[in-house]
Amino acid sequence: MAPQTASWIILFLPIFMAAGILFFGQRSKFVSSGLAIAGAGIACVLSWMLFIQGADLVVSTNWINLGRLDSPVPFTIPIGLSIDALSRPMLVIVTTIATLVFIYSTGYMAHEEGYCRYFAGLALFLFSMLGIVLANNFVMMFIFWELVGVSSYILIGHYYSRDSAGDAAKQAFIVNRIGDFGFMLGILVFWGVTGTVLFSELPGRLDAFHGASGWLAVACVLVFCGTVGKSAQFPLHVWLPNSMEGPTPVSSLLHAATMVAAGVYLLARIFPILQHSPDALTVIGWIGAITCFGAGLIGLQQNDIKRILAYSTISQLGYMVLGIGSAPVSGVAMFHLFTHASFKCLLFLCSGSVILGMHHEQDIWKMGGLKNKMPITFLMMTIGGLALMGCPGFSGGFSKDLIIEFAYTKGPGWFWLAAGGVFLTALYTTRMLWVTFLGAPRSDHAKEARESPAVMVIPLILLAIPSALAGWPFIQKHFFPIEEPVGVPGWVGFLIPGIFAAGVALAILIYRGAPQKDPVLIPFFANRLYLDDLYAQIVRFVQDGTAKASSWTDRWIIDGVGVNFSAKATWACGFALRFLQIGNIQAYAFFFGAGVIALLYVLISK
Amino acid sequence: MNPISLEVFVVTLGIAMLMLESFVVSTDKRYLAWLGIAGLAIAFGASFFARPEFIPPNAPYASFYTADGMAMFFKRFSLLATILVLVMTIDYTSVIERFVPGETKGAGVGEFLSLPVLTCAGLMWMVSATDFIAIFVSLELVTISFYVLVAYLRRSEGSLEAGTKYLILGALSTGFIVYGITWIFGVTGRTNLAAIAAVLPGLPAASHTALLFGVGLVLVALCFKVAAFPFQFWVPDVYQGAPTPITAFLSVGSKAAGFIVLLRVLQPFLDFGPLHGKLETILLLLAGATLIYGNLSALPQRNLKRLLSYSSVGHAGYLFMAVASLGVAFARPAIEFYLSAYLLMTFLAFIVMALVSRSVGGDDISHFAGLARRSPWLAGAMLVAMLSLAGIPFTAGFMGKLFIFGVAIEAGHYWLVVLGALTVACGFYYYLLVVRAMYWQAAPEYAPEISVSLAGRVSMGALALLIFIVGIYPQSLLAFLG
Repeated sequence: MAPQTASWIILFLPIFMAAGILFFGQRSKFVSSGLAIAGAGIACVLSWMLFIQGADLVVSTNWINLGRLDSPVPFTIPIGLSIDALSRPMLVIVTTIATLVFIYSTGYMAHEEGYCRYFAGLALFLFSMLGIVLANNFVMMFIFWELVGVSSYILIGHYYSRDSAGDAAKQAFIVNRIGDFGFMLGILVFWGVTGTVLFSELPGRLDAFHGASGWLAVACVLVFCGTVGKSAQFPLHVWLPNSMEGPTPVSSLLHAATMVAAGVYLLARIFPILQHSPDALTVIGWIGAITCFGAGLIGLQQNDIKRILAYSTISQLGYMVLGIGSAPVSGVAMFHLFTHASFKCLLFLCSGSVILGMHHEQDIWKMGGLKNKMPITFLMMTIGGLALMGCPGFSGGFSKDLIIEFAYTKGPGWFWLAAGGVFLTALYTTRMLWVTFLGAPRSDHAKEARESPAVMVIPLILLAIPSALAGWPFIQKHFFPIEEPVGVPGWVGFLIPGIFAAGVALAILIYRGAPQKDPVLIPFFANRLYLDDLYAQIVRFVQDGTAKASSWTDRWIIDGVGVNFSAKATWACGFALRFLQIGNIQAYAFFFGAGVIALLYVLISK
Repeated sequence: MNPISLEVFVVTLGIAMLMLESFVVSTDKRYLAWLGIAGLAIAFGASFFARPEFIPPNAPYASFYTADGMAMFFKRFSLLATILVLVMTIDYTSVIERFVPGETKGAGVGEFLSLPVLTCAGLMWMVSATDFIAIFVSLELVTISFYVLVAYLRRSEGSLEAGTKYLILGALSTGFIVYGITWIFGVTGRTNLAAIAAVLPGLPAASHTALLFGVGLVLVALCFKVAAFPFQFWVPDVYQGAPTPITAFLSVGSKAAGFIVLLRVLQPFLDFGPLHGKLETILLLLAGATLIYGNLSALPQRNLKRLLSYSSVGHAGYLFMAVASLGVAFARPAIEFYLSAYLLMTFLAFIVMALVSRSVGGDDISHFAGLARRSPWLAGAMLVAMLSLAGIPFTAGFMGKLFIFGVAIEAGHYWLVVLGALTVACGFYYYLLVVRAMYWQAAPEYAPEISVSLAGRVSMGALALLIFIVGIYPQSLLAFLG
């Protein structure tokens, strides 16, 4: 198959599947999941095909032409797909993980309400995500960016009868909108100054900024706002832990492996532009460094298994953003995105398996001793955990080390925040694994837990392979060829495993035995650094106040005078006009004649 | 293939259907509808092989017949509209049988099916006509067929009244067009539009007033055809009284052909400097007045058929916005695009309305209450039609309005665009009124099942799909425009 055709099929197949599921999936669960898995599977095969062929390709068509058809058109909006060194591995990651999660979902959601709606949402998400990956211009990427937001909203709010799910869905959407507003402004600045939105043309036209390099940094940081929202960086990270209200496979696919990584992908996509603005890269690096350390602190004191993983996701996304800010190539961040996608997806799917085994109990202090009840899940989650902690030899170790080394070349601040993050990650991950799987059961559910069905366990095993191996150089070189940083002293290479070992050891020291509740209590961390409360206060005072004022204005001034008065007046005009329509033929003929006279008067009068 | 053979074929088809009706003893006339649909579909397919090069240069009709891109596009447009009318008629035969007296069952259905085919031939000639004589003859062929069709339900007072009104006012407008043509002929000595364009620059300035008088009278008649203010008074009464398939046909086919003739007739005069200013002024006034009248009058409507008739006037207003901006190169494609979108959404709305009113026994908006619960598919189709008519993004109607407004902005008619945007807001109100009734109001007590024929289902599905395809990817339609 020609690569052009393949790329169009990859993009549009999922949306057709989504439509098919909505129309035909209502009656049969098999049709719903079958269509979704078929769509993802075919896209996956084609993505691997494009990856192996390795040919660069841009297919572009004009979506809307406004203007003359025969001449060079004054304004067109293109839809273009670009297959290049960046999008090929990303396609493979997204479609492969999506296929595995779709299969896993058939087991996890087997007895849930809204099966058809769920799979239609997943297929819609896949379409939107692939649009982001393939987009060759800002406008198209922004459209799909928003579509991803919509599908995330639908999927987080899947259990819409629960208030918390509805609130989480709204929060995720609104917080993302804040970031997206900046993103949109950034696009407008780029378009206004350079006159193009194509990623391939932009780096060559940055001369248009010359004399105002500040504006370039502003534009880059504005676009970065989109990343801050979508990739849950400080200070817009608050939505991601709450998004865990969605079904666990959704958390795994959207809120760990792919969608939240879209922000990092965006940065990698515009990396040739970012390189012209060191100021913007500094801002990006600091946000990443703060996020990877801060989220680790919060993760230490969470009790919900999915929330621990959510904060670890935020922290790892921080590493990726730091990688963009500190490394000379975007491949460093993309490499961590790649390893993170597999091990974090694995961890979430394992947690889903635990949650299902525990009858939807998510508090780790009600678990314990699950090692013997769910041996495969335990083994797989340990592999995922080791990869997450950056254990040498596991995928996460390779990619994280690389980012930390590049951070070292840019100064001690980023380096120590990143290295501290390793310690925190080791600490909270070991805590989670230890409390969940070792020791004695802490509840009846934990005593009766059973291993999950094969359809859920097999994806775990398939994901465990890349989680362990994907970082090794023999695999890495096919995906992200990167040159080692120069000027990093030898002790850095030993320090990081040392920090990792210290974190694991400290966790075992604290949580050994089988404590019934957390022996360490740090309210500042447990309460998420009080950031959520701060936002709630801000919302209460600033937003509610504004809302009251604007509600008053809306009701009395806009509605009263503007809308209702003019609506009534318009309606009255229409009502009056109706009396011209008296149904009498002589009258009509008279009006006709009057019209002729009026028309001729206007035409002929001087 | 010579393009004129398409019209010849369609006329032959219409006559053949009449003959079959007379000589075949069968009370079920649906085979005639299928024959007509098949024949028109063949003509539609054949139209892609018709090329203007195949018209012999010395053919007697060569001077008044053109087969340029616009003509070919609207020949296909008319064929498609007629096919949809026949599809609607299949589900409408029971009404015809009730209101047309006859000895046997099925009397009158055959003529009702063959007349639209003959009308279609008229429409196809109309869009090709480049000579005032040809324009007049084809216009009359269309109009006279419509007189019969509108008044076809002989036992229905509404239909008869509508027919009478249409006949009298139509005759009035015919009088004006003939009178206008004689004035233009008197000044220029020509009836051929190309010949007139060649003669115009050599005319003495003193004759310009006489010329404007003639053009004004022709404009009056064409405004009557396309339902522009102040020549639209017949529209609500005739639309409401006519059989629903004919209302749809009148609203789409007659209007589209009217606009094509308008474009052809106005072009030489608009290109002629001394007349340009005056004509543009009057077109702007007509556009503004039509927009205001159509949209405001629709606001208090509670009857869907009347509402659609006012909306048809409103849409003529949007089209006039582009006619008044003909100096812009994109104006012509914009008009053609809008008319195509208008065909899709209007037919979709009328098909659903015909089905619902046949089963519920009325076409007030209140008859649509709770339709979403009873027949979700029909309600969904109506929803698509209403959203597109109102101009929601990603529907064909939105793109049509976008192009029209873009053209008007390029021509510098800013106040007209502001007016257009305001009237679009009115449109949202009255179109969504229907949506509200379908989705948020309880069904009336008498709410029987609505059965839909396969042809009806297929055409509704295709229309709804096309509305979205054209709305999401307008290039797909723009590529076909002449």
